Amino acid sequence: MADRGDQGDSEALTGPAPTGRGFGRFLVAVYGLFALAATSRSAVQLATDFSEAPLAYLLSALAALVYVVATVSLARGDMTSRRLATLAISIELVGVLVVGTASLLLPDSFPKATVWTSFGSGYGFVPLVLPFVGLWWLRHTR
Amino acid sequence: MTGPYATTITVVALFCAAWALISAAANRPRGLALLASGLVLEALLLGFAVGGIVQMAGSDQNLARGEFVMYLLGALAIPPAAFVWAWGDRSRAGTAVIALAFLITPVMVLRVQQVWAGSVG
Repeated sequence: MADRGDQGDSEALTGPAPTGRGFGRFLVAVYGLFALAATSRSAVQLATDFSEAPLAYLLSALAALVYVVATVSLARGDMTSRRLATLAISIELVGVLVVGTASLLLPDSFPKATVWTSFGSGYGFVPLVLPFVGLWWLRHTR
Repeated sequence: MTGPYATTITVVALFCAAWALISAAANRPRGLALLASGLVLEALLLGFAVGGIVQMAGSDQNLARGEFVMYLLGALAIPPAAFVWAWGDRSRAGTAVIALAFLITPVMVLRVQQVWAGSVG
């Protein structure tokens, strides 16, 4: 997974932005996957039974937004996007830690799962690792 | 939904994923063969989605229909999106993106089956 992919990187003059190149290409794909997963889950939840677990569903929607913003801004990679990505990934980090802890301490408040429930155990704990990798990558490419 | 067709998708996807991973690890440039394998998988997924929706329409079974369709369409959307994104990067990272898409496909198929069986709410 931690494939750097920096070697053999023969970008043209109009190559992609630095955060979306090499390992970043892979990272953006992972973020894109979570953007898709969180957005679809959230769309279904909000459309079908919002009243059942409003807190969890609002958090799902927030998670979806954060992943979408992180994906797009990491893929773009200009100065503004970089700031936006840092903000989104920081919210992601806080979100997964807070929701992860809260879902363990107060399981009754989270009757329905979000991407961040139990630190993302439903997604192989990738949601917990991803923000750290994302922030590291933003620093690394600075 | 749980028949040999779904198993075929899983096997093909895992086979392609292994191949893409080996290519990425060996730092081999991606070729048209990888694209062709993606097309085969996509054709299988298209059949899965159409078959799944037809089967759902003809069934009065109680299942989360929105979620079911979402997973089918999600599985269908992932490989093309991965190829578009991966094709912009000639390095092994591009191949790794494709490997990721292939690896996710069996998971998506599994989720489709779980929703069909009603075990995921």
